[in-house]
Amino acid sequence: MMKYVLKRIGMLVVTMLLVSFLTFLAFELISGDPARSMLGTNAPSYQVDALRHELGLDQPFFLRYFKWLTGFFSGDLGISYSYRQPVWDLIGSKLMITILLSLISFALIVIISIPMGIFSYQWGGGPFEWIRTSFNQLCMAIPPFFTGILLSYVFGILFRVFSPGDFPDLYEEPGAAFLHLFFGAICLSIPRIAMTTRMMRSTIVSEMNKAYVRTAISRGNDRRSVLVTHVLKNSLTSVVSFLGQTMAEILAATIVVEQVLGIPGLGRFLVLSIAQRDYPVVQAIVVILAFWVVLAGTLADLINQSIDPRLRLGGDLA
Amino acid sequence: MLVIKDLHVKFDNRDREAVAGVSLTIEDGEILGLVGESGSGKSVTAMSIAGLLPRKQCTYSGDILLDGQDLLHAKRSDLRKIHGTKIGVVFQEPMSSMDPLMKVGEQVGEALRIHTKLDRQARKDKVIKAMESVELRDPEAVYDKYPHELSGGMQQRAMIAAAIITEPSLLLLDEPTTALDVTIQAQILELLKKLNAERKMSMLFISHNLNVVRKLCRKVAVMQKGCLVEEGLTDEIFLNPQHPYTKRLIDAIPTRIRKEGS
Ligand SMILES: Nc1ncnc2c1ncn2[C@@H]1O[C@H](COP(=O)(O)OP(=O)(O)OP(=O)(O)O)[C@@H](O)[C@H]1O
Ligand SMILES: [Mg+2]
Repeated sequence: MMKYVLKRIGMLVVTMLLVSFLTFLAFELISGDPARSMLGTNAPSYQVDALRHELGLDQPFFLRYFKWLTGFFSGDLGISYSYRQPVWDLIGSKLMITILLSLISFALIVIISIPMGIFSYQWGGGPFEWIRTSFNQLCMAIPPFFTGILLSYVFGILFRVFSPGDFPDLYEEPGAAFLHLFFGAICLSIPRIAMTTRMMRSTIVSEMNKAYVRTAISRGNDRRSVLVTHVLKNSLTSVVSFLGQTMAEILAATIVVEQVLGIPGLGRFLVLSIAQRDYPVVQAIVVILAFWVVLAGTLADLINQSIDPRLRLGGDLA
Repeated sequence: MLVIKDLHVKFDNRDREAVAGVSLTIEDGEILGLVGESGSGKSVTAMSIAGLLPRKQCTYSGDILLDGQDLLHAKRSDLRKIHGTKIGVVFQEPMSSMDPLMKVGEQVGEALRIHTKLDRQARKDKVIKAMESVELRDPEAVYDKYPHELSGGMQQRAMIAAAIITEPSLLLLDEPTTALDVTIQAQILELLKKLNAERKMSMLFISHNLNVVRKLCRKVAVMQKGCLVEEGLTDEIFLNPQHPYTKRLIDAIPTRIRKEGS
């Protein structure tokens, strides 16, 4: 067990290094001459050279990459071109809010869709079939920004439970901030809960048709105990992989909801920084998003390996 | 004693009856062979006995009585008490018939968990004994293994152990050796013979291979297209097949093997 955990973490590190390098290279190529563009075309070249030196842009590429990388892991994400401030100071608290929003959404997805999947398998057939499918389709089709507008109107303007444009300070009013985030999480999670529930249900249905279920019944299990003792565990790996993907997507999906509900997360700042060509900021956010995706995948794999012994070998067994 | 009287099974999505009027008797302690080509209705017959028919998707009639108790029309809840206590079933593909995520020992002991109040340790002791009686080497180690860690032959032995652990009076074997290679197949046949001799357990042994049946079963029934075409003592049928279909089945066995057997 320990061996493949280490192996998987090794893979994680290598992937992250690769991602960070590619991102760094890409921004090297697209950013052109930042010192020149910061100072404008009319600036004298000695000023440009001085700024270049100040920003460390006169050093060789690999040295800069190495410095950036070591800086990244010690919390130094570089200096913003637009604000002339450390990137971390600009995005730290925003990142915190976005991650909180993602985690709350993800928790909602896990807590609701797994029991819902089982419920819809057990009772979603027969006469309820069309109710279940149409409700499911409906939920899947609701875009988070629309739910966001709806919730702002109903709970923000009619009932005044929260104020959509005005996000409370996370440390001064944690309760109110949490409530605000919670509304955002509802918007994000509804379509994903619908997808995960449907996925869970169809996985259970296909597992139920497998030969081991017939064996279990021939030993005296009823459908319920087959579900509980055999099928659920066998369905879990697919669901975990699916949830891993959901977790990966959700951080990027927060951007729109943050705009609609006025949540001061990374999303709005990212859009702004892209418009201002503030590459150090964009680069840092891109790498953070990529790390999040890789991390989600790794976690899903590790959980699956602990569920399914066949995955512990080398991962190449079906 | 198992008595089947005029069993008919027709799946709703098929035109032809899968089983079209089969009557059979298996005496206590007897092994009956059931042979026939693919699709002749052998498995459906066994599933009917085991109470594993998808009842909603088919129509069925006739009687199946195990020691006088009706199986074909029994309630699901009554069937569950028979599953794994009076009837054990072994299927063709041991690998896919086992839960890939449950340890072998637990699967072997599953019927005990369901039907008895034995605690974990007592169950384990019985499982180890059952594993020994099916000649699984190193049962303590096998107990904690997962199905994919066993060879096909070991998996099938474990499946047999699981089927006999509650000492059922009837064992249904649906092509238990077809997926195994020839040497393992021979070992499993020997094992079944031994179990039958020691425990006086009745067996229905399904195969499409008459030669395998001849090694194990004193009596044999031949099925074709849902009907029994011939039934009797295996040796007599081999020497003097009455039905052209049986003749063809016997002729299909290579001559060398046919002589070896006699
Ligand atoms: N669940 C089912 N639904 C519909 N038809 C079925 C079902 N199970 C079996 N049949 C049909 O019933 C007939 C008899 O099938 P059965 O499995 O009993 O054959 P068999 O003699 O066991 O063959 P094999 O040697 O291939 O196992 C076949 O025509 C098969 O297609
Ligand atoms: Mg069959």
